[in-house]
Amino acid sequence: MFFSGGMGLLLRSMTEIPAVEVLNLTKNYGELLAVDHINFDIKRGEIFGFLGPNGAGKTTTIRMITGISIPTQGSARVMGYDIQRQPIEAKEQMGIVPEISNVYNELSAWDNLVFTGRLYDMPKGYRESRAGELLKMFGLYERRSEKVEGFSRGMKRRVCIAMALMNKSSILFLDEPTSGLDVESVLTIRELVRELNQEGLTVFLTTHNIEEANQMCDRVAIINRGRIAAIDTPERLKRTLESLQSVEIAFEKGKANLIGDLKLFPTVNGVIKEGDKFRLLTDDPPTALASAWKYAEVNGLRLITVNTVGPSLEDVFVRLTGIRSTAEEEGGKGKISEAREMGKGREH
Amino acid sequence: MGRSWHRTHLSREVRVAWAIATKDMRTYYVRPPSLMFGVLFPFALFLSFSIGRNTPISTQIPVLIAQTLFFASSSIGPVVIPSERALRTFDRFLTAPVSLLAVLMGKTLAGFIFGVGISVIPIVVGVAFFGTQITSIAALTLCMFLSALGFSAMGIMFASMPGQSPGTVLMPLNFVRIPLLFVSGVYMPIKDLPAWGQVAAMFSPLTHTIELARYGLGGGNFFGPFVNIIVLSAYMVVFLFVGIRFHIMNQRRE
Repeated sequence: MFFSGGMGLLLRSMTEIPAVEVLNLTKNYGELLAVDHINFDIKRGEIFGFLGPNGAGKTTTIRMITGISIPTQGSARVMGYDIQRQPIEAKEQMGIVPEISNVYNELSAWDNLVFTGRLYDMPKGYRESRAGELLKMFGLYERRSEKVEGFSRGMKRRVCIAMALMNKSSILFLDEPTSGLDVESVLTIRELVRELNQEGLTVFLTTHNIEEANQMCDRVAIINRGRIAAIDTPERLKRTLESLQSVEIAFEKGKANLIGDLKLFPTVNGVIKEGDKFRLLTDDPPTALASAWKYAEVNGLRLITVNTVGPSLEDVFVRLTGIRSTAEEEGGKGKISEAREMGKGREH
Repeated sequence: MGRSWHRTHLSREVRVAWAIATKDMRTYYVRPPSLMFGVLFPFALFLSFSIGRNTPISTQIPVLIAQTLFFASSSIGPVVIPSERALRTFDRFLTAPVSLLAVLMGKTLAGFIFGVGISVIPIVVGVAFFGTQITSIAALTLCMFLSALGFSAMGIMFASMPGQSPGTVLMPLNFVRIPLLFVSGVYMPIKDLPAWGQVAAMFSPLTHTIELARYGLGGGNFFGPFVNIIVLSAYMVVFLFVGIRFHIMNQRRE
């Protein structure tokens, strides 16, 4: 043993105690069970994604962990501090960016940050230097004296993230940080989050954008109807569905009953039309591919795109939550479009 | 990521409460509902009931002081809290490393300063133009201090009721505030009320504000200043406590 007593405890706290520990966390709204006895840990320094459709329980979970909402049952610890029993210590560790940018519209960007510093009881000199530093980092320093009500949605989002970073938190909670923003703001925010994470900040990110989770997160928890369906790294989650491979093809010209014909190929379990392309779901891509070539030759068609595609995080999500299959069974379109919305931005 | 700035718990709570109060003062004092229900309403009520009566203005100054304290102090909470809850800015206080008591004390302080600031006007006008004499500065100071704090906490309590939206908070509050005017010795001296009226007056916080203001300005007092101070202090604690309970209920519901 190289360390003992206080030093040992300190070392343990730095290495072993997770950034967030959630134990049996439950939330009821009357009869509705919004979050159903969930358990998970977030390691220090990781970007942890909380992925799920709208109404799955993501925001409710984040509100319970951060102390905004009181759980019906269970507990949450932030950096080792119980949010209900040691709320002051736990809240000192965290910065929060809620789904809605809750900035003070009547105040300037500068005053928003300085007021946040006062809420954390930061001394005047320190909170002002920190506010200036953050406004420069987020490209808002030149407009620091303007009231936030005149800012664009993306700028308000940046003010909101800057406010969450005022107290030099150890963990940042981001609830749908890029939802509804233009592409430039989305890319800026993602880059900032990555940089902050590289500097040691733990990030808890909720999103319904599968590609965002895939690109940014070290680990992902998939939540559906208040329950955790899976937790792992994006790549390991994809590997659990190795049987779900596919061949993507496109013909130069179409043909009547094309989908019906493709479904009859040996080893093809299903066909999904994606724009002018067809995705043949199969556990044997070479056989499906051979069938496609033969079919094109016999029918005088020309194949212009041929790709073999491994399972995506979207496939994992669809398989675990059953959103697309449920919709197809019900003949409804709503859930299909929701599943596609969740996969938006996906690169093939 | 160390933080070395944290000082003692109590002093921090006080500083954060003051930060919240100053932010609310800057942001909400000049909002139309604050001015309408906190300034215009008590003066309009006073004028509508005092013009044409045969009592001298100087004897009605305590009533005006009490009404401005009552309406101005209790109007800030219902303007601030529902709006902050709707815009989710109230969540900032719930996630800040500070107790709910400090947050509500900050909110109470904003109403307190507004109420005291507005009610100073009738005192100055009374002394300067209508011969009003301050016979007990201590009673008048206590009247303003305890009443403004208590009524501000009352406004916050109503604003924190579960299920309230910004547009509906003032309705239940006025449902309580306006009837209280009729049982608190505003329009009829308490000694002239029937026995049941005197019992009702005893339980109205506004009674004790008027009584203490009258005492401070050399008028009669039915219950005695000591009772006035005890009742106003008790109401202040009760309103604050119930306000906190309402917020905890909201956190359980949301």
